Amino acid sequence: MTRRDAEILLRKTFGLPNFYDEQWLTIEKILNGERILLIEKTGFGKSLCFQFPATVFSGTTVIFSPLIALMRDQVRKLQSLGIATKCINSEQTQEENTQIINDAKCGKIKILYIAPERQENNEWIEATRQINLSMVVIDEAHCISVWGHDFRPAFKRIINLVNLLPKGLPVLATTATATKRVEKDIARQIGDGISIIRGNLMRNNFKLFVIKVDSDDEKMIWLGKNIEKMPGSGILYAGTRIDTEIYSKWFEFLKISSTAYNAGLNADSRIAIENGLMKNQWKCIISTNALGMGIDKADIRFIIHTQIPQSPIHYYQEIGRAGRDGEIAYIILFYNPNDDRRLPEAFIESARPSIKKYEKVIETVKSGLFGERELMKQTNLKQNQIRVIKSDLIEQGIIRETIYDKAKKYEFIPDSQPLNTKSFEELRAVKTKELDKMLEYVETKDSRMKFLCDYLGDNSNDMFTNCDNTGEKKIRVIVTPEWIEKLHDFRENYFPELIVESNDSNIVNGIAASYYGVSNVGNAIHKSKYENGGDFPDFLLWLTLKAFRKKFGQETFDLILYVPPTISGNLVKNFAEKASKILKIPISHKLQKQKTTKEQKTFENAYLKKDNVSNAFYYTEPNEISNKKIILIDDIFDSGATIKEIGKLLTETGAAKIAPTVIARTVGGDFI
Amino acid sequence: MNKESAYWMVLAHELPTWSFSNKDGWKNEDKMNLIIQFYHDKKMSIEDFFGLPEDCWKNDFLINEKQITDLRNAKSSIANYAFLSENLQHNGIEVIPVTSSEYSKTLKENLKKSAPVIAYIKGSRQIMSNKSIAIVGSRNASDIALTFTDNIAKQASKEQKVVVSGFAKGVDKQALDSAIAYKGQSIIVLPQGIMTFESGFKSYYKQIIEGDVLVLSIFHPKAGWGKDLAMARNHIIYGLSKEIYVAESKPSKNRQGQETKGGTWAGVIDGLKKGRTIYVRQPNVTEKNDNPVLIQKGALPVDIEGNIIGRSETIAETLTEIPNTQNNDKSFSDKVKEILLHGQLSANDILKRLKLDWKSDKLTRELKKLDFIETRKEKNKIYFALKNAKQSSLFD
Repeated sequence: MTRRDAEILLRKTFGLPNFYDEQWLTIEKILNGERILLIEKTGFGKSLCFQFPATVFSGTTVIFSPLIALMRDQVRKLQSLGIATKCINSEQTQEENTQIINDAKCGKIKILYIAPERQENNEWIEATRQINLSMVVIDEAHCISVWGHDFRPAFKRIINLVNLLPKGLPVLATTATATKRVEKDIARQIGDGISIIRGNLMRNNFKLFVIKVDSDDEKMIWLGKNIEKMPGSGILYAGTRIDTEIYSKWFEFLKISSTAYNAGLNADSRIAIENGLMKNQWKCIISTNALGMGIDKADIRFIIHTQIPQSPIHYYQEIGRAGRDGEIAYIILFYNPNDDRRLPEAFIESARPSIKKYEKVIETVKSGLFGERELMKQTNLKQNQIRVIKSDLIEQGIIRETIYDKAKKYEFIPDSQPLNTKSFEELRAVKTKELDKMLEYVETKDSRMKFLCDYLGDNSNDMFTNCDNTGEKKIRVIVTPEWIEKLHDFRENYFPELIVESNDSNIVNGIAASYYGVSNVGNAIHKSKYENGGDFPDFLLWLTLKAFRKKFGQETFDLILYVPPTISGNLVKNFAEKASKILKIPISHKLQKQKTTKEQKTFENAYLKKDNVSNAFYYTEPNEISNKKIILIDDIFDSGATIKEIGKLLTETGAAKIAPTVIARTVGGDFI
Repeated sequence: MNKESAYWMVLAHELPTWSFSNKDGWKNEDKMNLIIQFYHDKKMSIEDFFGLPEDCWKNDFLINEKQITDLRNAKSSIANYAFLSENLQHNGIEVIPVTSSEYSKTLKENLKKSAPVIAYIKGSRQIMSNKSIAIVGSRNASDIALTFTDNIAKQASKEQKVVVSGFAKGVDKQALDSAIAYKGQSIIVLPQGIMTFESGFKSYYKQIIEGDVLVLSIFHPKAGWGKDLAMARNHIIYGLSKEIYVAESKPSKNRQGQETKGGTWAGVIDGLKKGRTIYVRQPNVTEKNDNPVLIQKGALPVDIEGNIIGRSETIAETLTEIPNTQNNDKSFSDKVKEILLHGQLSANDILKRLKLDWKSDKLTRELKKLDFIETRKEKNKIYFALKNAKQSSLFD
């Protein structure tokens, strides 16, 4: 097919006038059955490079994409052009997916988007026996590389698949974010004479700013003052889930329309937020880096980071979604030199659990066939730790993940090499260097865009005049007493929620006076509990009651119960008695333990915590509970296992409502 | 994982099979001949072979039009097999083609051109290169047959020989359980596709990861159990084993309720026809089974411990030691035949293998008395070989 012929087809099918040279170069190679790695910036038109040939081929093109939101978006667009496109993903029903698979088998689908995890699905593997496959595309191919910013183990399988595909079947890997090192790594893994096409990654419609501050307060004040003045809508990236909650409450306090997004939300909420973003429902979305790649909105006008990301490549990726329409987009990074290195450093440090923990997992895997849950129970490791360990052990060929009875289990691989810890150290050294580079970005006196392009391996000689070092005005934070007052008011009235509601329990989401470790609340609790400091001080009682009144002040309650102690004697009992006197709600001491439990904090994961308290409680006079509205008091809320267990018991005994109220909620493992 | 595994799977499973109703189909031998042509003669990989233009298939490989159509169709499904192949790899199942150095040499030597094109395995490959014996017999074997099975498995495990069995009830299961109990090694030869053996992989997880059990199948990985597959599997059990022990051959009823001789019987008869040495347990007079008939047909009778009847050697002795008296001519000749099956040997090698303390001229004299032996001279050295035997075996 000549370029002319192709462009005639392009106009007919896609309504576009012609290809860019780099697009045509790629397409020509695809039509020729070659393997290509295409690195082009967001908005370049990478998708067309596989969508066009897909319409020319007789069979089906399969696109592996990790991003359900992006899949949905592309499917919508292609369908509107009359191209038979579908996606298979975990957020559709089984029936929908089955129907799509059947259509693919009958040759009714030209372009099929699927998540890499789908390789685990039997129905899909069965279907692949009959699909007439024309091309394989790996979208977001940087996920293949551990040197990238978003390594995903499921992509390993796609690489294995690609290596098993016959010669002559075109394979295209695309990404918008790859350093030279990542580029080389992807090319090596896909192998077999792959050609690399790398475009210019410069985004000249960005206006880049760095705002240096001395405290989180300054960040909050600047945002409070200025976010409404920003054009259009945008994204505010915060470092942790807790931060997303705090910023969103702050904006709520200031009546700025915003919503919080993080990986902890369920699929429905995420879809609702993604849709709302598309429709500019809020001024901004406050998110951890869980949101980003998946958003295909052309007119994101600003992206603000309240925390420095781990590396310039993370940063480039996260800001990459702004201004896809080519219009001006504001890119702002806050940096507090006193404090802000801590979080990314902690990420890097905690990225690898101790070697002992690895060994523990290997031994456990050798002793039997277990799934993740059983592994966590046997090893008493946190979920995120076990996931890192598993992924490393799989990567090193020491264990493998297989499916038994539709459940994942982990097998030891006989004759495998011993654990190689050198690669962890190497990776840690590289990550630390990358963080240093990120700080260099903050401190640079030269063009920020050029800094990012150089880092990514672009050899551009463009003139860059789009940052606060090259012509744009520097931004400084001005703190006024009025704003200090506002922030103070907010802090006094902000209480963390306890998310415990479920369909099969009458427990409702509760409230805590504070986060443990964020204020002096944690210290005060610690003193009473572990340093013989006597009863919890009264200020904790006042703060807790204030939180309670804010959350439940409009409601009436019949009874106060408290969680019976494990080791702290009568601290909680005394605390609850005082609360009972002030609230004038009777207290009962009949909630008791029927088995010895250990302190929840000795268990690293939710499964063991749940087991620890399972059936641990009983109520001596169950009849008293019937139809009662109950306040349930405890000192610290961690995984919520204890509160939920008691909620279950009281629901079974007939309680109408259980409202948990605690002094502090731990920050726990809620990092992202 | 072999990066050509999808190609091999296509060659194994996607060409129409020969049958009485489809005489244009491919026999295993046809596939083997093709493999010999591209791999052995033309030193070409399977990927390169499939990448050739059809003209080359026709002119250089003399493949007919019908077969070219078959190969073309098969080629179009390589991409599909890549998905399945990745799935196998992910589950720790390896695809071993007949050209691989990992492929069981015993299997290749015993079955020649009827050796399967590929074997799917899970477990330690090492097991395939160890000495092996098969214990076969009825699904509803008697207690005494099971005791025999246990004895043989125990002895084999002691001698570090692998026990090959077919994962059926009765003798097969006993052979496997005993080998495991005596800390020996086993090969389970499946009558089904390897991906349908999930529960088995679960049950034998520990033995597999400790390198004591290898699971092997030659069928399409997703094939369910079938009678034809079970029969074809017996052929592989014989092929994988150096020695074959029969615990009990019993008639069984087929689905129509008719009595048949059963799979063990068919396997032994086939094995005897191919000149394999087969040891059959000598039953008591009260037992009702077909063991005596098999002995009549040429199988060697053994007692409950596996000793050849009429002598007092243990299995180990019968295998490794030849009594050095003229009275034992028959067993001497059998043993010579057996060791020369794998190719020619010098007098010294034969003495070593048979553990004889004869002088080499005595051996030469004895060998010359045997009518199936010929001498060959190569570079001034004398070798002994079976008459009409080929120099080297396939694919070596």
